[in-house]
Amino acid sequence: MAQITPFTYRQGESILHLLDPRCKFFMICLVSMSLLSAHLLACFFYGVILFFFFKNAGLNIFSTLNHIKYFIVLLFFIFAARALTVKGDIIFSFYELTITGQGLKEGTLVTLKFFLVMVTGILFACTTKSSGVKNAVQWFLRPIPFIPEKRVAVMISLSLSFMPIILNQAKEISEAQKARCADLQKNPVKKIIRLVLPLLKKIFLSADNLVLAMESRCYSDDRTEPEFLPSGREIYFIGASIILSLGLAWF
Amino acid sequence: MTKKIIDITSISHTFADGYKGINNISLSIYKGEFIILAGKNGSGKTTFLRHLNGLLLPDSGQLFVNGNDVKKHLVQTRRAIGMVFQDTDTQIVGDTVFDEVAFGLENLKLSRTKINDKVTKVLKNLNLFHLKNRAPFTLSGGEKRKLTIAGILVMDPQVIVFDEPFSNLDYPGTIQVLTTIIDLNRSGHTIIIATHDVETVIYEATRIIIMEDGHIKEDGVPFDIVRLLESYGVKEPSTSKFGLGIQPWRK
Repeated sequence: MAQITPFTYRQGESILHLLDPRCKFFMICLVSMSLLSAHLLACFFYGVILFFFFKNAGLNIFSTLNHIKYFIVLLFFIFAARALTVKGDIIFSFYELTITGQGLKEGTLVTLKFFLVMVTGILFACTTKSSGVKNAVQWFLRPIPFIPEKRVAVMISLSLSFMPIILNQAKEISEAQKARCADLQKNPVKKIIRLVLPLLKKIFLSADNLVLAMESRCYSDDRTEPEFLPSGREIYFIGASIILSLGLAWF
Repeated sequence: MTKKIIDITSISHTFADGYKGINNISLSIYKGEFIILAGKNGSGKTTFLRHLNGLLLPDSGQLFVNGNDVKKHLVQTRRAIGMVFQDTDTQIVGDTVFDEVAFGLENLKLSRTKINDKVTKVLKNLNLFHLKNRAPFTLSGGEKRKLTIAGILVMDPQVIVFDEPFSNLDYPGTIQVLTTIIDLNRSGHTIIIATHDVETVIYEATRIIIMEDGHIKEDGVPFDIVRLLESYGVKEPSTSKFGLGIQPWRK
């Protein structure tokens, strides 16, 4: 059985699950952009809102954090880089390394913003079917000339659908290598190459099979138009997200 | 007289690297037949099956489905000949069971109401309706295989082609899929199964075709062919080996 990733759609009846994917798409874009200029307090406020929706969607916070632990490590490096490079009032100094108050504050702000954007994305992915994402992308791209919106949308939706299978394949390859003492190899670059090359081969083969399977079921760009089932609350959510975005940008 | 569905005259296919996949194959397939296409690995079974669905086109010779040349009538061919691939994971494109079954009908541009009606009917017939909102990758092997059959069945094919339908299935999964295939044949569908494990289905088969090196070596009723299987690298059913004739595999 394939793995459930933090980006896998989970079945549910929460407010976000029932919301039209186009509305969620609009909200996620708006809020993510306004987060760029948000201050610390505004970020914390947005964090509380996210926490509410996370609980409401029935997602397990600790399990999600566990899934994104490598991303959290990356955030720690970003935080350290900021804390050590921003000039200001020195709090701690060791040889050439100095940590400043301004650096700590800026590091916290940047990592918090990255974290919130990531969690917003997870919330969107967990509450929206990949077909919903596909339909929303297709709808937004339709007015833009020279972009094959149907093809782009299908590519995005297939990437999302196949993520668990790709991760499963990566796990299988890794376990097969471990069974032959691949752990003894300490060079991380060689380790990655050994994993990535067979994985890529498998992904291309799977993609080939997928194309054949889609073709055998008469796939073409000219298909039944996507169906949207709005819950009726979309207008309130759009209004609230605009107010929230203005608030995040100003405070 | 039974209706002829597929008529093949001297088809050959050579791959880009010069390897001859199939060579000078001629045969006819009639409504209601249950055919086993046997042969060892690399004998050309899959290449041959892909020609039936128009996924591969012959370099020479002619292939007609319901009197239409496959080269000129690809969509009609793919509607008439449904294909279930060996690897279920890479042929499932929907993110719920319902969406997966609806995929083929969306490609045929049917109205949303008609799609919903047909999908519901097929899911109920195959006893998958209770799983309609489940993510396909969370299903068991047998359920996944049944789902791929549902995805084909909903397009009302006359012939259903299976490429190694029992590979990677446990005993209950094999029974589940075998029962579905037998029911489909009894409801009037023509069945073609490519396998190197004929024991599971030989009792139900009306005809066995043995392939070797891209050629058809034997074509006849199971009773006449069963003793020849091992000379072509295909395991003879145990019951036949022990002089008990051809016996049903499932209880």
